[in-house]
Amino acid sequence: MEKLEVKGLSKSFGHSEVLHDISFSVHDGEFLSILGPSGCGKTTILRILIGLESAEKGMILKDGVDITNLPSAKRKMGIVFQNYALFENMSVLKNVQYALLKSTSTKDSFNKEQAAQKAKEMLELVDLSEHLDKKPRQLSGGQQQRVAIARTLALNPDVILFDEPMSALDVDTRLSLRGELKELQKRFGTTMIYITHDQEEAFAMSDRIMVMDSGVIQQLDTPSNIVDHPANDYVKRFVIQNINIKINSLIQFARTEDKTE
Amino acid sequence: MSAARSMRKKYIPSTALKIVLCIFWLFAIILPLIRMLSTMATVDVGQVLSTAKFARALGHSLLVTAVATVISVCLAGLLAWCVARTNIKHKALLNTLLIVPMLIPSISHGMGLIIILGSNGWISRIIGLQNGIYGFWGIVIGSVMYSFPVAYLMIYDVLHYEDGTPYEAGNVMGLSVKDKFFAITLPYLRKPLISVIFATFTMVITDYGVPLMVGGKFTTLPVMMYQDVIGMLDFGKGSVIGMIMLIPAIIACVIDMANRDKGNANFVGKPYTIKKNVARDNVARIICILTIILIFLPIASFAVLGFINKYPIDMAFSFKNLNQAVHMGAMKYLRNSVIIAVVVSILGTALALVNAYMTARNKTKLSYVLHLMSITSLAIPGLVLGLSYVMFFKSTPIYGTFAILFLVNAMHFFASPYLMAYNTFGKINENLEDVGSTMGIGRWGIIKDVILPQSFGTILEMMSYFFINCMMTISAVSFLANVSDKPLALMITQFEGQMQLECAAFVSLLILAVNVLLKVVIYFIKKATNKSN
Repeated sequence: MEKLEVKGLSKSFGHSEVLHDISFSVHDGEFLSILGPSGCGKTTILRILIGLESAEKGMILKDGVDITNLPSAKRKMGIVFQNYALFENMSVLKNVQYALLKSTSTKDSFNKEQAAQKAKEMLELVDLSEHLDKKPRQLSGGQQQRVAIARTLALNPDVILFDEPMSALDVDTRLSLRGELKELQKRFGTTMIYITHDQEEAFAMSDRIMVMDSGVIQQLDTPSNIVDHPANDYVKRFVIQNINIKINSLIQFARTEDKTE
Repeated sequence: MSAARSMRKKYIPSTALKIVLCIFWLFAIILPLIRMLSTMATVDVGQVLSTAKFARALGHSLLVTAVATVISVCLAGLLAWCVARTNIKHKALLNTLLIVPMLIPSISHGMGLIIILGSNGWISRIIGLQNGIYGFWGIVIGSVMYSFPVAYLMIYDVLHYEDGTPYEAGNVMGLSVKDKFFAITLPYLRKPLISVIFATFTMVITDYGVPLMVGGKFTTLPVMMYQDVIGMLDFGKGSVIGMIMLIPAIIACVIDMANRDKGNANFVGKPYTIKKNVARDNVARIICILTIILIFLPIASFAVLGFINKYPIDMAFSFKNLNQAVHMGAMKYLRNSVIIAVVVSILGTALALVNAYMTARNKTKLSYVLHLMSITSLAIPGLVLGLSYVMFFKSTPIYGTFAILFLVNAMHFFASPYLMAYNTFGKINENLEDVGSTMGIGRWGIIKDVILPQSFGTILEMMSYFFINCMMTISAVSFLANVSDKPLALMITQFEGQMQLECAAFVSLLILAVNVLLKVVIYFIKKATNKSN
């Protein structure tokens, strides 16, 4: 059975149609990237999946159960935003502990100490044990994002959605965070849906990539299949050329380095 | 589709709350104003407006306001530069001292001027000024003293937070000081300066405390309105003048709104680096010290006058004025004032927070209506609001009780604290409620545990704003208070009428003392919470 099944999703804001008859499915434990330029509708899909937005048409199944009308909190999904959405007035530890104590899905199974214990464990996983008592603003962007990830993971969702979580971070931080994210996914077996406009990121991390443009899925396939058999001109242009440009400039860069040496 | 329907259900409570708030605004602002304007149907508006007396008052108001605004803004600009752009020491102290005049009522500024430069003023006697500084210059000086600190605070903030990088670029390009001023500072200051000018203009043109005290025969519009309503109980004529007073205030408010930057410019830059220049610092120091002396002259004069027998005949130290004021009920009125200030600072702040939440973090079409309603009070002079309330609430049970004083003050001073909350809420991470709802933490939980704690400093500022203004105000309440619920500040008008300047000075000091006490308490609360964070 598929982890998630999306059938015929459509959504408009006013007169403009943001999503047009979107259908796809996500396997259990898969890392799926949704790749597209800004305004292509990728964030709207995410918000509909987790129930922050409603679709005009369509249906969402999770483990075969219709969750289209379920409130966000009952979907057992988590979301990590680009701007982290941390609780700035609480320490790193309290951010996770508070979520455990207040969330409807976990609050009955934890008392204060147990929640603190669990929070510490989660923060250790993302390598933040040294920063438990700091406020979020005392951390770097990458560290803040790791707090957000730990906070989401702590509630034990079986699907986590990422809304361009790394676009505010510098290149080095992105690279190390990519590795950590894959590591965490392996460890917890969580299904992850990852939104990005960065081709390189999508290709480096994903089991499958869903290329979107103007509210329509252009192609949904494995990275190698997308490169070998792009479904249409758009995919060719947007995905492959961009990657080629990057590779070429890298080669160029390497050559000039050679010459100067 | 049922999905859409169930989703819509989530929004019903907040929409209902917004509608309730809109209805509240209808009764608290819109209908009273309409009620006041409707009386004009019974008055010969043309006749009121065509009298020579009215034309004179209008001319006086515009002239005095224009001159006072120019002086006040220039002075504020100069002082702000002295503090923000030099290496002068004790900046925090200077900032505190320079805004002390914000803590006493405008009428006290007028009175301070009389004590110093009136026909019997102590400086008048020294320099041999015969008739004192009544009339045009009296009002101008008093209005400058009263409006200067507000303009100062606004300009100081702008200069203090200006990005230093364009200046560094300018230095690299080799621009002269003059070039940098015209190419960088002035364009950057233009918009904020327009806001400052209109804020000052509105403050001065709607004020009646200063002209009532030192105006003499030089009548301005607010004084004329006050005399028509209080003296002759001519509500119709008062309404016509009220309407005329609304016009400049509304124009100022609209221009200011249009001029304001949209959204929060969240620029990352580096602070302006102040070069070493001892001569410049010395000049700035002298200017600051002179200004502070001038500001404290009237306040020191109250302190002296409040504790002597009879100025200028018997200068012996005495508690006579204190006893006299207490005898006339000063303690009871002080209690009234504190009750009003405390209740309004709590209820007004709560209302402003709810409104700001609904407009800044729960945006729908109704939010725009609410936002507009929440800032209308900026454009309504206190006297006009007071008169509207008299006419609208006259036959309701709240008339003549504390309740109407709570309401009128909360409305009169609503816009500034509301905007503080609006800006703070707007800056807090926009995804918090969403993240909460995916975790199964409701909106209220996020508000209570995350958003309000993050806004703690702003909430304190809002409460302090309501409190201090309630302690000082004499405009809106002057038509609405009666013997049993009269606030302390209104005793000043009463004493002034009875020529008991010493008692009025004592009352002004009392108000200043309460406000300073509040500021000190707020300062320590902030310090304590900063430490615990």
